[in-house]
Amino acid sequence: MGKCIFQRIRYVGTACTIILMCACQSSDPVDFSTQIKPILNDKCITCHGGVKKNGGFSLLFKEEAFAVTESGKPAIIPGNASGSEFIKRLHEEDPELRMPYEKPKLSDEEIDLLTRWVDQGAPWGQHWAYVLPEKVNVPAIEAQAGFAPGHTSDFIRNPIDNFILARLQNEGIQPNAVAEKNTLARRVALDITGLPPSKTFFSSFDKGVLSYEQLVDSLLLQKAYGEKWASWWLDMARYADSKGYEKDMGREIWAYRDWVIRSLNEDMSYDRFTTAQLAGDLLPEPSLDQLIATAFHRNTMNNDEGGTDDEEFRVATVIDRTNTTFEVWQSTTIGCVQCHSHPYDPFTQKEYFKIMAFFNNTRDEDTPNESPILKFYSAEQKEKGNSVTAWAKKYGNDTLAMAYRNFIRYREPVYKSHFFEDFVNGAYDDHASVVLWDKGSCKMPDIKTRNAGFIYLNFSSHYEGTKIRIRKGHKEGTVLADFKVGKTQGNVTQRFPFNKIDERTDLYIETYNPAALPKAGVLNLYWVAFLEDLPGQEKSGYREVGKNFMELLNARTPSVPIMVENPEYMKRTTQVFDRGSWLTKTDTVQAGTPKTLNPWNEAWPKDRLGLARWIVDKNNPLTARTLVNRVWHQLFGLGLVPTVEDIGSQSDAPSHPALLDWLALRFMNEHQWSIKSLVREIVLSGTYRQSSESNPEMYQVDPKNELYARGPRQRLGAEQIRDQALAVSGLLSPKMYGPGVMPPQPEGVWQTVYNDHQWVESKGEDRYRRGVYTYLKRTSPYPSFLTFDAGSREVCMIRRTVTNTPLQALVTLNDPVYLEAAYHLAKNSFNEDNIPLSIAKSYQAATYKSINPSTRAILKQLYTESLEELTENPAAVKELLHFEENPGPELAAMTIVTNAIMNLDEFLTKA
Amino acid sequence: MKDSIIRLIKEKQEREAQARTRRHFIKSCTQGMGGLALSSLFMGCDPLAKPSQKRQVAFSERDLNPLSTLAPPYGPKVKSVIYLHMAGAPSQLEMFDYKPTLHKLHGQDCPQSLLEGRKFAFIKGTPKLMGPQAQFAQEGESGNWVSNFLPHFKKVVDEVAFLKAVHTDQFNHGPAQLFMHTGSPRLGRPSIGAWATYGLGSENQNLPGFVVLTSGGNAPDAGKSVWGSGFLPSVYQGVQCRSQGDPVLYIEDPEGISRNLKGRTIEAINKINKTEYAQYADPEILARINQYEMAYRMQIAVPEVMNINDEPEHIRQMYGVAPGKESFANNCLLARKLVEDGVRFVQLFDWGWDTHGNVREGSIDLGLRNKCREIDRPMTALLLDLKQRGLLDDTLVVWGGEFGRTPMQENRGNKKMAYKGRDHHGDAFTMWMAGGGIKKGASHGKTDDIGFSGIEGRVSVHDVHATILHLLGFDHEEFTYEFQGRHFRLTDVEGEIIKEVLA
Repeated sequence: MGKCIFQRIRYVGTACTIILMCACQSSDPVDFSTQIKPILNDKCITCHGGVKKNGGFSLLFKEEAFAVTESGKPAIIPGNASGSEFIKRLHEEDPELRMPYEKPKLSDEEIDLLTRWVDQGAPWGQHWAYVLPEKVNVPAIEAQAGFAPGHTSDFIRNPIDNFILARLQNEGIQPNAVAEKNTLARRVALDITGLPPSKTFFSSFDKGVLSYEQLVDSLLLQKAYGEKWASWWLDMARYADSKGYEKDMGREIWAYRDWVIRSLNEDMSYDRFTTAQLAGDLLPEPSLDQLIATAFHRNTMNNDEGGTDDEEFRVATVIDRTNTTFEVWQSTTIGCVQCHSHPYDPFTQKEYFKIMAFFNNTRDEDTPNESPILKFYSAEQKEKGNSVTAWAKKYGNDTLAMAYRNFIRYREPVYKSHFFEDFVNGAYDDHASVVLWDKGSCKMPDIKTRNAGFIYLNFSSHYEGTKIRIRKGHKEGTVLADFKVGKTQGNVTQRFPFNKIDERTDLYIETYNPAALPKAGVLNLYWVAFLEDLPGQEKSGYREVGKNFMELLNARTPSVPIMVENPEYMKRTTQVFDRGSWLTKTDTVQAGTPKTLNPWNEAWPKDRLGLARWIVDKNNPLTARTLVNRVWHQLFGLGLVPTVEDIGSQSDAPSHPALLDWLALRFMNEHQWSIKSLVREIVLSGTYRQSSESNPEMYQVDPKNELYARGPRQRLGAEQIRDQALAVSGLLSPKMYGPGVMPPQPEGVWQTVYNDHQWVESKGEDRYRRGVYTYLKRTSPYPSFLTFDAGSREVCMIRRTVTNTPLQALVTLNDPVYLEAAYHLAKNSFNEDNIPLSIAKSYQAATYKSINPSTRAILKQLYTESLEELTENPAAVKELLHFEENPGPELAAMTIVTNAIMNLDEFLTKA
Repeated sequence: MKDSIIRLIKEKQEREAQARTRRHFIKSCTQGMGGLALSSLFMGCDPLAKPSQKRQVAFSERDLNPLSTLAPPYGPKVKSVIYLHMAGAPSQLEMFDYKPTLHKLHGQDCPQSLLEGRKFAFIKGTPKLMGPQAQFAQEGESGNWVSNFLPHFKKVVDEVAFLKAVHTDQFNHGPAQLFMHTGSPRLGRPSIGAWATYGLGSENQNLPGFVVLTSGGNAPDAGKSVWGSGFLPSVYQGVQCRSQGDPVLYIEDPEGISRNLKGRTIEAINKINKTEYAQYADPEILARINQYEMAYRMQIAVPEVMNINDEPEHIRQMYGVAPGKESFANNCLLARKLVEDGVRFVQLFDWGWDTHGNVREGSIDLGLRNKCREIDRPMTALLLDLKQRGLLDDTLVVWGGEFGRTPMQENRGNKKMAYKGRDHHGDAFTMWMAGGGIKKGASHGKTDDIGFSGIEGRVSVHDVHATILHLLGFDHEEFTYEFQGRHFRLTDVEGEIIKEVLA
């Protein structure tokens, strides 16, 4: 909460303080980005910048601000405040003339600042977010009166603490003492692995066998680390197991999720992690893993709804990729600029389309089969594939070998039938194929035939002996191919001899089958392709290689959608959309990055690979800051810039600007983009190790813990709540990877139009896998995760808003998953002869704390009351403990107690 | 007539008596929980707090309960909204928008001027115009047109205000439904119900503030996002109440756990959580204590409000309910019960209105008639029932689809179709509104002679949203939420209140 609902006056925090402090020292130079820009954004820009330029005056860009306005003069005359209309209007008494129009007059301090700024020549500065300093000094900490010296030295574990303590000393606040060992062990294990610590780790640390550093290092080596942090990344990547929109059919893309988990566990450096996802396919000789990584941007939705225009939704995915890239890596909501120049941040509309141009040239075109998809072949199939590429290399060259290897890998480039036109006795059937009847024909426009001796067709044929003819140029053009196809089982890829020509030309396809019923489809055609011929036709083995090739093209294998760049002859141009409408295109633009950010290095290719290089360039002011801010947010529940989705002129100011920059520089330079090192450094800080205990007074001083005078305390995330319940009850399966699993969920939750896909409950250990493996259907996500604020992954989500609702209580109280976990937790420590001990053990197993007498008394009373009631009702015992053959009321009563324990705030919360 | 009045008075008395009993029951339940009712803590009577500290914790009621009631900034005309969405898009040309000229032109080629530069979802080439497939008459004192597909509804025609020239720029179901409910055809924005609940909270803390009911055998095409919370906190998303299984997921106690045991369990949890609060002082703990108490009460209140069997027979008949099944009639009756109990926003989706003519159920002449039959009586009953209880003045009822349908007969694949059908069409379609603040019997907007485009009083989806928010007491331009550095509105950068339909 905390956000005011109605258009609120923005709190400009630090800026206000500075304004007040400076008002009395009128000769001091005014700083544009900290003192002026906040006033302009807050008071002026709604009418003078971006969408609106009232009076022809805009304060968005420097050139605009000093330009001639509708009055015929510039509003700002640098060095001459009294002559500047911009300043005069602030003093007007006539409300029709006074600015801000129909709003309260600016304060004297604000007017004074603006006046001095104009008098000082109106220097236009860069916002802090767009400039990264080269070096940040760690503040020195001296013992201060009122601060217990031992306390301070205990607190400072690494330089992070110097930054935190410097501000605390400024505010006159003492940090908390270090948290209890058990609390800290649970906190850091949940933060690193998403699970409570294993018994071995916990007891070794508790007994002092493992130091805190050693515990942290051990946890960072757990495979569970990748599973935990993957949930965070997959929210941003909008990873899901279905395509979204109306039909929301399943999508096989789990290989990407597994790649994320593996890469995080291997601690792949963030620059490589980034490059692989944005442009793995453009790296030289990309590995399968580098291709899988590009599925990051294939997580966009695919619309299979009847009657939708594939091009419209292809454009929608390109826009999504543009926006998501900037949200994920630059903390910038570039999406607004799609329709108009950004009202606040210095990005122009044209720049948006220049960024979009990077993404506008991939082969995927919103077809239901999601081509291009990378096929995963068996070892035997790989052998066959190698025989083809080896042949192409031996008798041809590397380029040819590459073309064949790629076509085997992902069957592109092909000409998809949604571009076919001029139908006679046929139509586009709206499900990715053209359907032709007897005497049917259509045009396949603008096709490059590459001097190929074969035409490759992907089709299904419904009759025997359908005659097909391909003509060149026009309906009566030269016949280039003439062949017959038989009836097929579903759709197949076949090739047929083709008269060699090397041109870009329209082709016409004709179908004949007099045996077919009138208006009955004889052929469904999905795509056609031309590949340069394999040479060495006369050599022995040629036929075998050709057979292998065709076999692979028709092989059904597991797969993952990937990004593949258009070949030169298929390149699209990118145009600016007028007011964001994809149907109204104006100026053509070339790929490029925003001027305000780091410069482009001419050595970089002007494609996604170049864009990735630009993003991970050390001069980029936002990439590293964005990442460290978000990792910090994962650990503390609050970003150093609290608006973790936005770092720019509209974002909150950083609570510790120098720390943010220090961490960003350190992440790139010392840690060499290692996320694990960054996590390690933060969790080893004294700041992180503090106890999160507090009191109402402290909450009043710092409700959000922006000063970090206490340790982090947050409710666990959706997956963690379930994972933890399974872990402490011993049910959690350690199995990793593979297709999404379907643990029990209430019946009737899935209900999608035109889709009979069912939730088929998983069997055995798949019911108890970690949440990151739960099948995620976008229109109907796993209900209890949704209740605990996980998203539907339809679009990029930078942070989950943490809510606290009765529906959450209903999940952990009543969902059978939690009941089953409670039963196992009860059973594991159950000793009929010593109920207080059983309670203490269950409590300890769940919370990692020894039970205090008052809690034990409350739980003991619950046990007694439950036992009393359940003893009288054996039927209820049987229902509750349906897992057991002859359950007793004692275990049932203990299950009620463990159900209560697993609903305690301390269980649901990381303290 | 007299009989029915007596019956209603009697029924009202019964209802009040029941409500008293229920309130009493809930009250005694919570008090029975060791006097832990958290309200005492909010009032400053926390036994753990020292007297001097009582008022020092600076958190708002919203921190403890995100659904706590808030007053709107301007005078509201209504407290609740019932939104009836016919998913698939009903044909305005067979229901409300009477076009005699279209009848005359039946079977003729559609003029090229209407087709040039246009794209339809399925229509290809030159389709033929198709006259209205229903008979129309002017009804009520207002003389507004209603077709013979809606024999009941014509009796309440004077209660509603028609919007005859609504338009949208989306012509595929998913995006158009999203646009209609979130103000954007793309995902990620909060739905109207989420906005309303965020802005106003709920009047009843034992029920979700925003309830969704579906019928017709399918959820709407765009999925749960049409009642999603977008960037608003997820607590404001619609809660789907179901006809089969638990009405709200996990609302039923697990088998073997009695109400008493659940009460004891929550009591123990909250006692321990209070000691936790003493140690950590985190207001989230107080919120959690509150939420557990609410959950307990909700477990009684939800099944109770979702049970239509206790309604008197004549009321059930009036709606034509089908107990135990999922039906639009049941949902209309539930909608009345929900707003009666203070639920802020009730969203109904009825699926099955996509009448292309490709199958019998999806045809204009047969399928549409059946769908009209399914909704005619219940939606009429809903208006009458709300009215007779004095609830209509506090409630806004909105009816519509995600777009309309073409005056041309669909010719999918350039072929004659098996049945009569119309394609998707966003240029002009009809919606209606009724209830508080609405001008009874009004009709705003006019389409051309064949019903292809609006020629007068065209209103956009944003205008409809602006009007709904206005009636709830908001200025749609001021009602914003800051996200990613921008103040977001339901109406984006557009929308004007449709004054012509306001009383």
